[in-house]
Amino acid sequence: MDFANFDIDQIFGLGDDTNPLLWLIWIIPIVIFMFYGQRIQLQITSGDIKKNIEKLKHLKEESRKELIDYIKKELKPKTDPTEKLDRFISYFTIMPVDMDPNGIIPKVRHIMRSREEYTRSQVKTIFSDIETLEITKVQNLLEVATTLQLLYKIVNHLFLTAKKQNNYPLILPLQMMLPFIMEEADALKEAISALKHGQPIGDGIGPMVVGKIMLGTEKQKVAFETVWSQKEYEGRKLYLLKAEGPLATVGRPGDGVEHIVSQYKPDTIIMIDAAVKLEGEDSATVAQGFGAAIGGIGTDRFQIEEIATKNNIPIFAIVVKQSIKEAITTMTKEIADKADETRSQLYEMIAENTKPGQSILVVGVGNTLGVSQ
Amino acid sequence: MFSKKEEKTTYTVEKCVSCNNMTKRKFKTGDFLFKETSECASCKGKIMIEKIFAEAIKA
Repeated sequence: MDFANFDIDQIFGLGDDTNPLLWLIWIIPIVIFMFYGQRIQLQITSGDIKKNIEKLKHLKEESRKELIDYIKKELKPKTDPTEKLDRFISYFTIMPVDMDPNGIIPKVRHIMRSREEYTRSQVKTIFSDIETLEITKVQNLLEVATTLQLLYKIVNHLFLTAKKQNNYPLILPLQMMLPFIMEEADALKEAISALKHGQPIGDGIGPMVVGKIMLGTEKQKVAFETVWSQKEYEGRKLYLLKAEGPLATVGRPGDGVEHIVSQYKPDTIIMIDAAVKLEGEDSATVAQGFGAAIGGIGTDRFQIEEIATKNNIPIFAIVVKQSIKEAITTMTKEIADKADETRSQLYEMIAENTKPGQSILVVGVGNTLGVSQ
Repeated sequence: MFSKKEEKTTYTVEKCVSCNNMTKRKFKTGDFLFKETSECASCKGKIMIEKIFAEAIKA
């Protein structure tokens, strides 16, 4: 090489494609990314996931602390409930085998109800004297703390497994699901305040609509934490059903509907519930449709669909759209303002789809915390 | 990027069953929907809780 005649273009190959230095500048990163690409991606993604795991851990601990503080300060337990509550928070539920799905619904219902009943009886043992409203509030707060603990454990497990195995593809599903998990976790954390103060939540719009119609009628218990009453409307008989407010409960609408249908054979069933809105949809919009409008694990929906099909009763639905966060936190003004419109749509639906002399079962579905009747 | 956490307050709206007079106040523990709270000052009718909702505090 002639150093006296130094040419920078020649060194970096700007005028020549075959320069070895330029060739190395291109080929080394390609080789590095070929062999270590996944590890580099894993490191970058890990930072973000780690931050979210820390946040989940904080939310889990905060919800546990708020539950224990609420019980100690507001409900005056017999003894220190911390150890017992920690045990409840760690409870798990083993779902029935679904290899042969035939007959799985009664099994799921049995497991869920056993769990509910056990938790309720255990909560009662912490106190010498406690109101039903407070038991339901503690049960809901426990549910929040348990769910947050479960979310933290699952996310942490998936992250640590991917890190241990140095396996980038394993972390991808977690990375995709994490924004949704964090949205749910934030919503759960915010739900605690509404639960502690006994404020109606967005999910309570169904009970709110039906509860107002039930005012001034004679209420009877139809199933566990579920009430019903009768009312006349333009020559039609209305059977009104909702969870027993103002408890923090969804009641047992499946059992309630089954009882009323077997006793009174209504001509139509109308269900009013909150529904999760799609992205881009406006919050608090009222929509009408067909089918059983009821969420949850699916056992109540199955029971209602079964009894309606057997008796050939059409099911209509009115839903008030909202986000997951709105559904479990204190009801927003927009949703509360839609109660009257929803009630008008219910009466319109009754007038359009039934004749005088017929009977209609109207079910207000959802958590009736802070909503009486 | 610059979004602040929205502060919310819960309000209770009471309505007189007879004269439909409505008042809005801050939520108190023990409030629940359709609870009869007091007597209307103008018509002596029953006052009932009509709505309970959370609203963002305006800055």
